Amino acid sequence: MGGGPSIIRRPSVEKSNTELTTALRANFLVSQQAAASSTSNGASTTPSKLSYQAWTAREDSTLYIPTLDFAHSGLAEERSQYDITVKLFYLPGVPSSRRCAQTREAIDLVLRELHVPSIDLLIVSFPGFSFDADDEEDDALSEPDGEVDGIPEDGSGSESGVGAEDIDTMIETWRSLEKLHDEGIISRLGVSEFGTARLARFLGKTRIRPSVDQINVRDCCVVPKPLILYAKQEKIELLTHNDCTNILPRGTLRELLGSGEKGVGVLAGPSGEGEGLRGDVEPQWVVKYTAVVKDRGVVENKGYFAVAELGE
Amino acid sequence: MGLLAIGTPLEWPEAKKVASHVREWGIEQLLATWRRAKGKERDALLWGDEVEYLVVCYDDQNKKVRLSLRQADILAALASDEKLLKQGGGVPDVQRGQVKEGETAPVFHPEFGRFMLEATPGKPWGIGFKDLLDVEPNMKWRRKIAKDHMDPTEYPITLTTFPRLGCGDCTTPTYPVSGEKLRSQFLPDEIANPHIRFPTLAANIRARRGRKVEVNVPVFHDKNTPWPFKDPTVNYDLHNWPEDDDVRNGAAKENHIYMDAMAFGMGSCCLQITFQAKNIEEGRKMYDQLSPLGPVLLALTAATPIYKGFLADTDVRWNQISRAVDDRTAEELGEKPLENDRWRIPKSRYASNSTYISQDPRLRKEYLDPDLVVDEDLKKRLVEGGMDDLLATHFAHLFIRDPIVVFNEDLKELDLSKVDHFENLQSTNWQHMRFKPPPPGNDTGWRVEFRPMEIQITDFENAAFSIFIVLITRVILSFDLNFYVPIQRTTENMETAHRRDAVLSEKFYFRKNPFPSRPIKATGSSASGSTTPLPVSRPPSPVGPVEDEYELMTVDEIINGQHPAADGFPGLIPLVENYLNSVNVDVETRCDLARYLDLIRKRADGTLWTGAKWMRHFVRGHPDYRFDSVVDERITYDLVKAAEQITRNEARDGLGAEMLGRRR
Repeated sequence: MGGGPSIIRRPSVEKSNTELTTALRANFLVSQQAAASSTSNGASTTPSKLSYQAWTAREDSTLYIPTLDFAHSGLAEERSQYDITVKLFYLPGVPSSRRCAQTREAIDLVLRELHVPSIDLLIVSFPGFSFDADDEEDDALSEPDGEVDGIPEDGSGSESGVGAEDIDTMIETWRSLEKLHDEGIISRLGVSEFGTARLARFLGKTRIRPSVDQINVRDCCVVPKPLILYAKQEKIELLTHNDCTNILPRGTLRELLGSGEKGVGVLAGPSGEGEGLRGDVEPQWVVKYTAVVKDRGVVENKGYFAVAELGE
Repeated sequence: MGLLAIGTPLEWPEAKKVASHVREWGIEQLLATWRRAKGKERDALLWGDEVEYLVVCYDDQNKKVRLSLRQADILAALASDEKLLKQGGGVPDVQRGQVKEGETAPVFHPEFGRFMLEATPGKPWGIGFKDLLDVEPNMKWRRKIAKDHMDPTEYPITLTTFPRLGCGDCTTPTYPVSGEKLRSQFLPDEIANPHIRFPTLAANIRARRGRKVEVNVPVFHDKNTPWPFKDPTVNYDLHNWPEDDDVRNGAAKENHIYMDAMAFGMGSCCLQITFQAKNIEEGRKMYDQLSPLGPVLLALTAATPIYKGFLADTDVRWNQISRAVDDRTAEELGEKPLENDRWRIPKSRYASNSTYISQDPRLRKEYLDPDLVVDEDLKKRLVEGGMDDLLATHFAHLFIRDPIVVFNEDLKELDLSKVDHFENLQSTNWQHMRFKPPPPGNDTGWRVEFRPMEIQITDFENAAFSIFIVLITRVILSFDLNFYVPIQRTTENMETAHRRDAVLSEKFYFRKNPFPSRPIKATGSSASGSTTPLPVSRPPSPVGPVEDEYELMTVDEIINGQHPAADGFPGLIPLVENYLNSVNVDVETRCDLARYLDLIRKRADGTLWTGAKWMRHFVRGHPDYRFDSVVDERITYDLVKAAEQITRNEARDGLGAEMLGRRR
């Protein structure tokens, strides 16, 4: 099952999970309306009574919500004018073994959407941990200089975050990114939410090093000095973001697709009413893409794709 | 300030005779430019700021401060500094060095007032975020260079106006008032830049008007202010010039501070920002979309509470400049029936703008000024020449004015490779937005100038407001925002912005929902070969009454957003934050930008004071102040000294913290 692309135009003041759900909902509604006006031959059909099948598409076992159409979008100017950044969110509770295929699929969708052969920067977000400036200060104090390499690599230690996976699992995922880099599809790779210690452990095991670490600095600009210094030393750009790590919680998606008041009727109601699909939705990944005109600083295209699995 | 051509300027009666000639040639030059550059595409965002300074001269022994009239000497020193020239700096009108690959020294320009200087970056800024962080150091560098080429007793201060301009003994050297050009009873002719263009400008505005300009600012009614207030500095017994009758005919209004010369307005310092658009279409859009922000930014940057030694009851400079260059005749003003002049004109040449020019489907005809005065013959010529109606209307509106300064030498032959006649009119229409066609002879593109902001005391603040406006333009273009309100509302907002403490206590007409209506999915009947044809007939977007599209908002609501955020106006700062979240910004840059945005956020919500409020507070707290609205020499000396101290320390020592907050 696939979520649809969406050019975000109403920027929400909230974090990007609100932005994502708002965008998805808006895109669903627009597609519903479009389908309603085309199928009804001028007679009025309220979009909400319209079968989801009229505005979605099934290909094999995949349902595209709404139907994807890559004929039109894309960019107004030639590729070299843009800085294209993609951020891929691996969601919690999804086996990491699937990520290689997921990454390919996500990048492929973005390339088709923007009509480009490559992207400039891919940042990945691993589930289960987020950067915390306070922890980081403590970390730095408790870690004498030069001993970062000696930190145990089991992923526990001073690194915080419930459900954070170990470095080796992340590196496994990283291998598939390195391959995309080798193929020339991605120019630069990046990670997000990495503190100094995690970064240090991670770097040693990469073949293609991340050139970006994206952290959430919220309002106060308290980025720990050690991280700034370490990033400088390792020539890693520290970029800012305002995303949630868990960008698409299961409940949110269920509500969005469901038959309730706020839903679009793709999923059946709680007791199986309606023509919608039955089963549990399990969000798998979300990808966000942004195309910025380099010498004008204008965000020309921005959107998301999301994929969820429908279980029994 | 415009072009500094050399020649023999015509006195007004002569200039008036050739006015149509100049306008017609100006229109031909505009058409030539338009034909040449209408297809210009894909220009980068380049932008520049202009900072204007007053040069003050301290007399520490007598605790006095005066305006220094040494502009020419200072510019000469700047233009002949070998080291500066090597770095690319200097004075473009005289001599400057070559623009560098890397860092280029700032450059300096003459201004109308002989006590003023203008400085701009040596080359334009880009949108690279590192460029944004260079703005403040560059402004500091400019001030340092300026100071280095002055006498030890002089200092380049960024106050909008000199508090005692027009009081006795306010300049050094001193000159007698009531000269031939200005005929002012408060200021000498020598107050203006001696370049022939400037005195001619002042003299011809006065001559065209048929009397002196008339600037009346409401005086602040303090507890000991004599009431009704009659400006005690007005001399009713002067008989040097026919214009000395003005005050005997009631030019000085009760309860107002009265001023009578162009220098009282054009001697003000502003902060202006110019942007290059990617093409003419984007330029026209930026012109329209920035226009409604003008009055809001004017109120937010308010810094002009004192005129001619009195506390005023207004906070900003705008209307004073407007009146100081108002060349309208009594007929044009509507005081007499139209006999000799062509039309009544509702606004001064210096005023909020009256046109929208974008070919944006969201521009409803209800937004346009129904009473716009247009020279229909010139418009016809522009349309014949291929220009669209909207843009032709804009220029034919600017061209209702007469050229003020005309050089005899320029009237011999029409040179279509030049734009001197076009610029003659264009650059003496001082509206709050200016749409600038590409100049001949280089690769510069279509530009838009944002002109309403008041200069701030510190470079930190000036950088903050410059960068804020740049970011706002990026937000407008990225999110395709729509700030349209009927343009008369902007005119009214401009008046509102003048009121004392308007930033906190007044409300401004502003559009409630700036977002485009939901994008209709790009799939559609035109999608040939699409596997999933979804023929979409674009439903007509519902259009309600124009009055429902906007409401009165506080500056805080416009800047920081309304509550609840879900339905209300989102706020310009949250929109900027959202934009910054959508682009790759490094941590250190983001934190520096946060300092600037924080200043603006807090100015809007009242946590921090405007310069106007701070200066009022300073005056009213001064031991010599007698609560009679009078700002005397000693208060002025201490105020200017304090402003200098704040410029240097930016409130790190506590002085000015109400304006700037706690600085590290």
